[in-house]
Amino acid sequence: MRNFFNKDTWIKPYLKKDKKLLFTAFSLGIVTIICSIGLMFVAGYLISRSATRPYNILIVYIPVILAQAFGTGRPVFQYLEQLTSHNWVLGVVSKLRQRLYITLEKGADFVGERFKLGNLLGVLSDDLEHLEDLYLKTIFPIITSYVTGIIIIILLGIVSIPYALFMFVCFAVILLVMPIISVIIFGKAKKYEKNLVANNYQNLTDATLGVTDWMISGRKTDFIGEGTKNDQKLAKSRNKVDHFEWNRDFALRGMIGIIIVGSIIWGNLYLNDSQSISNYIAAFVLGVFPLLDTFIPVSQAMENWPIYKESVNRLNGLSNKLDKAENNDNEANFDNNINSISMNDVSFKYADDNSAILNNISLNVKQGQKLAIIGPSGVGKTTLLQLLLGSINPTKGEVKLNNVKVTTLKNNRSNIFSVLDQKPFLFDTTIINNVMIGNEQATFAEAKQALAEVGLADYIETLPKQYDTDIDESGIKLSGGQRQRLAIARILLQDNPIVLLDEPTVGLDPITENNLINTLNRVLKNKTIIWVTHHLQGLSTMDEVIFLQKGTIQMDGSPDELYKNNEKYRKLYQMDQGIEN
Amino acid sequence: MFNKKLMTIPGIKKLIIKISILAVIQALSIIAEAWFLSRALVNAWMLKKVTASIYPMLFFFIAFIIRYLITRIENQITDNFSDKASNDLKRALLEKTFELGPQSVAKLGSGQIITIALEGIDQIKNYLNLIILKTLNLAIIPWIILVAVFFVNALSGLVLLLVFPIIIYFMIILGIAARKKSDQQYLNFSKMSNNFINTLRGLKTLKLFGLSKIYGKNIFRVSENYRKSTMEVLKIALLSTFTLDFMTTISIAIVAVILGVRLINGSVLLFPALFALITAPDYFLPLRDYGNDYHATLDGKNALDHLTSILNTTSPAAQKQLNNFNSWNQQSTLKADHLSFKYDKENNQGVKDVSFNLTGNLKVGIVGQSGSGKSTMLNLLGGWLQPEDKDNFKINGEKTDSLAQFAWQKHLSYIPQNPYLFSGTIAENIAFYTPNASKDDIKKAAESAGLSEFINSLKDGLDTIIGRGGRGVSGGQAQRIALARVLLDDKREIILLDEPTAHLDIETEYELKQTMLPIFKNHLVIFATHRLHWMNEMDYILVMENGKLVEQGKPKDLLKQSGKYRQLVDEIGGENNNA
Repeated sequence: MRNFFNKDTWIKPYLKKDKKLLFTAFSLGIVTIICSIGLMFVAGYLISRSATRPYNILIVYIPVILAQAFGTGRPVFQYLEQLTSHNWVLGVVSKLRQRLYITLEKGADFVGERFKLGNLLGVLSDDLEHLEDLYLKTIFPIITSYVTGIIIIILLGIVSIPYALFMFVCFAVILLVMPIISVIIFGKAKKYEKNLVANNYQNLTDATLGVTDWMISGRKTDFIGEGTKNDQKLAKSRNKVDHFEWNRDFALRGMIGIIIVGSIIWGNLYLNDSQSISNYIAAFVLGVFPLLDTFIPVSQAMENWPIYKESVNRLNGLSNKLDKAENNDNEANFDNNINSISMNDVSFKYADDNSAILNNISLNVKQGQKLAIIGPSGVGKTTLLQLLLGSINPTKGEVKLNNVKVTTLKNNRSNIFSVLDQKPFLFDTTIINNVMIGNEQATFAEAKQALAEVGLADYIETLPKQYDTDIDESGIKLSGGQRQRLAIARILLQDNPIVLLDEPTVGLDPITENNLINTLNRVLKNKTIIWVTHHLQGLSTMDEVIFLQKGTIQMDGSPDELYKNNEKYRKLYQMDQGIEN
Repeated sequence: MFNKKLMTIPGIKKLIIKISILAVIQALSIIAEAWFLSRALVNAWMLKKVTASIYPMLFFFIAFIIRYLITRIENQITDNFSDKASNDLKRALLEKTFELGPQSVAKLGSGQIITIALEGIDQIKNYLNLIILKTLNLAIIPWIILVAVFFVNALSGLVLLLVFPIIIYFMIILGIAARKKSDQQYLNFSKMSNNFINTLRGLKTLKLFGLSKIYGKNIFRVSENYRKSTMEVLKIALLSTFTLDFMTTISIAIVAVILGVRLINGSVLLFPALFALITAPDYFLPLRDYGNDYHATLDGKNALDHLTSILNTTSPAAQKQLNNFNSWNQQSTLKADHLSFKYDKENNQGVKDVSFNLTGNLKVGIVGQSGSGKSTMLNLLGGWLQPEDKDNFKINGEKTDSLAQFAWQKHLSYIPQNPYLFSGTIAENIAFYTPNASKDDIKKAAESAGLSEFINSLKDGLDTIIGRGGRGVSGGQAQRIALARVLLDDKREIILLDEPTAHLDIETEYELKQTMLPIFKNHLVIFATHRLHWMNEMDYILVMENGKLVEQGKPKDLLKQSGKYRQLVDEIGGENNNA
């Protein structure tokens, strides 16, 4: 635990921020508990004192006022406490979100994905919510209960040492022993269940994604068996935890029962000197009841600690990894005059892999030239693009832009390279805003012009809100081809000299694909293009075609040359075009 | 919060009876608890010896224990019930998914089904756990306590009784305002959190355009705005808890003061006063419990609604069974007779009035632009969609309304763009239709599908684990595994293919085609495609446009006609014609 907190950078530093607000929240929480105890205490005293039939109602004037004050105070302070604590926590979460963003920004790359995006981002954003809960549902109730517990013990110590000792032991069981046992039992069960749930998730994915095969196989019983495989184990584990929880809460309430009986006995034995003192017996006993609501939830509050811990660990791990990841080479200056981009005998091997994914690749693309790279999936086409961009360092050889190593270009790269990949990311905002991301200084007219060039303007102008139409959720759904066109418009505004195309037409039907390729050829006429693709559609306009196979260049040449001299290419070309031989 | 659908869950009536009985016992034990505690306290107040209070203390403790023991028992029996109910619901969901087939995934998305099957079912369970217990407690416990208080001290009883409708009144007034706001904020939250994830997803793009650094500040600003708006909402939303608490505590304080005054007057004694005071918080407790967990029960209720709506969709199922269809061979005939299908009543998507005749082991291509109805045709032929209610098909002369029947489907195999590979060994994947196939047969099928080289390169050969969590398999190999499945089950004479090679690189496609063509020879092949070279291999072509079958015939004949087929071929061949 100590080790955990020493290395932590996601909880501890934030507990030191906005101390005043935090302190107020804690204080209000404590006052709330004291008010609820106070109300029952005063009420008990009030009626006991009244039962002695004082000659004047003014004798019980103070208890009457106090009863009203505590009665009003409890909800008021609780209300304020909830507002302050939420305000503080949400403030912290804002900072955490920004921090997570900055951390991830360091690791984000132009091409390829360092993180399996979809899933991980969801997990991280859940982690932040877990931290929010950690503060609101665990740290706050625990600290307020503990402080109140200590205050009560001290006050009781002044009244009666034996009673204080008795209460101390009981409190220790309720606030310390039980919560610790809870954490241990829950931690174990959660870990075990997590694997089962992950497994369940996988089985269900198999079941639903493969449902067509299941259906025609007629194996209904197997299908249901697959989807419910772990349910029994899971139910058993959850049941065990549930039983523990019920028994624990029952035991905790039993503890409160013991405290009440103990208090009565103590009252009988110690508060029996005179009537005026015995008036306090009911006060002390009734004052115990509110503890049912405030102390018992502490064990529950601790239960989720294993989940929170995992979240915090993940965040800490992430920031450790990425804060180091930034390399410290000096940034090279570059004036956008590109003569050529070249690879000189480049090899690349991923640290975890046995063999290199690319071997001794050399190529040279001059300003304005168009190069196509073809090869089966997994052959390293995307890796090649990452090397060209300088996102990764070659294991051997050099990638140079003119005479400068690309890895030293850093932030300059966003002024040199444009990238269009399979699924261009569009932000959940208007069409025009999405285009303007290409160049925030561009005018509306320029952005419109870009959209016209990619052939979207006509369509957009038929929409009721035209260029201000929202994309996705609240607005329109664009088709795959339209999304690509929008992304091309963005690249046109960005106006960088080199454009990398990473299979931008995968998943489009051939007619849409043809049209898109024609558009690309038209609007990117003067740019240097490096195009990764998987078939031959549109290749005739390229200056050079490279076939990658097993990490090396297998065929290389202009499309015409290849067609003339290379039989394999000719065969492939004929099939692709549906030419019968 | 209570949902009528709940009453249809088997066993719920029994549960309600059990819980009601327990709630009555619990209310009685609360009364006993207060009674004996008051006794003990009065004894102490009267300065009697501690021995005089032994029995009251003992009985108090027993009543106290019984009270919470009942809570414990209630938890267990509701949990048993909701466990069983949620398990049954999950089975029902899976059965429905199986019956709906690909349609369920198309309509709901595989992600949704999984979310409902995992999280949704948990939420429903939670909902069942909370709703019955809390509703019954609220319906029973306060009123029994109230009767007891009336007996002991009518005035306190009156105060408690009067406060109840006041609380309800305020709860409704404030509750409506607050819940509207907090539901709204719940939406805001999902929006903001989506926006955050969205920005993180777009990080790569932002970096690409040199904007990623600037956006960090934006995140903080959006988040802070959210905080401010949340605080505004919380101020109102928390008021409903506040009112409930305020009315509860203040009425306890009022009861205490009234009792105090009456005690001084001598019109009441200490015992009934203490009794009323001790029971007052318990009187309000079920109401406070009911007010909590609003969102937890709301999620569960919505999940239950969603699940019920899925269970109520009708799955495709043929009315007329094919009794004589045993296998597809050279003499077999399939006739589609004015076949129509619509996805929605309102819009016109689907297929309209399609008729054709197929005989023997043909290779049939279905072609057309995206959205022309190719996939719908394939789905109708696979029996995954239910066409209009009439005799739509004739198989070997036998009429039937729909192909959604196992008698037909057991002769099918289906190869989509990305055949799904199950987590398991390669052998298990190949033997998916025939789990009892022998190792030798599997090996033979793998060989004929051109998998030998791939399998030999693996350390564990056919026993290599693939699918999720296993070894990655390239698109071409996945197609070959699907082909091996077809070859292993010689009853599957009909192969449906949906663009199986479109996403493969040209070399892989070329090699795969060489394997596929011989396999196609002794099967009925129905092949939806856009690729020109596949069209040339077909014996017969169906050309779809806007859901209609606009041309059919041999590809060579169709090419000569310069009709729709010709037009489509020219458009696909595209690059040579226009630039």
